Amino acid sequence: MILLWILFLGGFVVLPGSALLAMRWAIRNGEFRDFKKASLLVFDEEEPVGLVTDSFPTGKIVLNTGPSPATHGVSQP
Amino acid sequence: MSSTPSTSLLKALSPSDHDEDLVQRKALLAEIDASCRLPVLLFFICGTLWLLVGTLFALITSWKMHHPDLLGNIAWLTFGRVRPVHLNTVIFGFASEVAIGVSLWLMCRLCRVTLMHKWIIIMAAVFWNVGVVVGVLGILAGDNTGIEWLEFPPYASPILFFSYALIAVWGIITFRFRREKHLYVSQWYLLAALLWFPWLYSSANIMLIMDPVRGTVQSAVNWWFAHNVLGLWFTPIGLAAIYYFIPKVTGKPIHSYYLSALGFWSLALFYNWNGGHHLVGGPMPAWLVTVSIVASVMMTIPVVTVGINHHLTMKGSFHMLRHSPTLRFMVFGGMNYTVASLHGVLSALRSVSEVTHFTHHTISHAHTGMYAFFTMVMFGSMYYIIPRLTLREWPSAMLIRVHFWFTALGIILYMGPLTLGGILQGYAMLNPDVPFLDVVKLTVPYLKIRTVAGIIIAIGHTAFFINLTWIILRQLQPYRQPTRMIIAATRNAINPALP
Repeated sequence: MILLWILFLGGFVVLPGSALLAMRWAIRNGEFRDFKKASLLVFDEEEPVGLVTDSFPTGKIVLNTGPSPATHGVSQP
Repeated sequence: MSSTPSTSLLKALSPSDHDEDLVQRKALLAEIDASCRLPVLLFFICGTLWLLVGTLFALITSWKMHHPDLLGNIAWLTFGRVRPVHLNTVIFGFASEVAIGVSLWLMCRLCRVTLMHKWIIIMAAVFWNVGVVVGVLGILAGDNTGIEWLEFPPYASPILFFSYALIAVWGIITFRFRREKHLYVSQWYLLAALLWFPWLYSSANIMLIMDPVRGTVQSAVNWWFAHNVLGLWFTPIGLAAIYYFIPKVTGKPIHSYYLSALGFWSLALFYNWNGGHHLVGGPMPAWLVTVSIVASVMMTIPVVTVGINHHLTMKGSFHMLRHSPTLRFMVFGGMNYTVASLHGVLSALRSVSEVTHFTHHTISHAHTGMYAFFTMVMFGSMYYIIPRLTLREWPSAMLIRVHFWFTALGIILYMGPLTLGGILQGYAMLNPDVPFLDVVKLTVPYLKIRTVAGIIIAIGHTAFFINLTWIILRQLQPYRQPTRMIIAATRNAINPALP
């Protein structure tokens, strides 16, 4: 029974606790240093910024005419 | 083109044991997609089949709410069995399988590695489906545990857990081998979901089924589990997909990476405490419920930051909703994440909960989160991923449109009237002058509307199933031409100046 309570109360502590440990790891590994670089990680040479990568099968490729990535502004804290 | 690294499982945990080229070189997108083809498609196809089963049981369940005699003389099709079969097939059959498939693909893409040790994932998929089949048959046979969201009988859960353990091991291997060292926000969400779920599932199974705790503590554990499955398993995977696909489809980076980080860490810290708000008014320590309510209100922070971030990323690109199926589903799902979450924050307040608790309002809220948000995001993800796995275009644009509009309008028709009906039901139940049978009769029109909404949604699912079957059958035919997306990607990689 005690073990079960430890499991349950541990659940309330372990999950946020694991998040805090992960945050410590992230700080130490510089994950919060360069937000601009991080925001560009979904892009690469094969599919760079500005490339639209999805459309209906019978549709044409639609260029994104919204704000350009440069003016779109990758926000900094 | 390098092939999938053929490492032993023990060596797989240590990237330093491998060739430097293997460790350093980022895989091409086409290599990653090719490596994911079989395991991810297996999860998607099985998940979609479970979606159809779950939808059928949903319709039977809904119909029974206003016509209780329907199939009432067949024991295995009575309400107490078909309702949990619906819930568990869509949660563990459809939603979890598609979520795992999307997570595998996203993790490989963001880590820039091919999918290693496919056999682990294929074995996990087989065991997962065996677990769901055993669980469903168990419920239909009358072995329902009676515990919300854990209705599968005790002999089904270990199979699911074993399967999940294989997937978690694979996730750790992939993360260890990542060739992109910096983490994108989607990876944070995926890793969190991957590591939190086994803790949740095993703790709940031990404390509620294997060696059950006594009395009202069961309900505390039950809601800790049930709410966290939504918040710490499905929600992170849904948000990971949105954070990946909106920038990817529009070609624009996320508006504010700072806000995305704030959204993740605040969800990680606050969500775990939310489940207790389902016990407002119950025989639980007041502090436990109050802590849950406070944590629920704190969820406003991640919800608002995520909502603002998605909206500002889409700003200037809303016209693209006409042209991209993925974006349609993503934006619809993202908007409903905000709606469902703020709705949940409100419902957690004692003054609101005393009206809405034990009413159809809660059912409506659950479907806003699980369907209007999560399921729609998963549909959008599959529309993006499957053509890249099969190297075939979706056969029918019309079926995609039918799928989107029927599911979107269907769930709106589901949510609106049922929320209103639930509130009216709550007020009527609080009024001692209203006989209980009148309260039941009051809800019938809203329940009938729900059935109509369910039929509309089922048509959408059928359209998706036809399109999926069609594209898989095309996959079996000789290769003819690459997809439109791949042509565009290749052309732009060669010369970005080209339109």
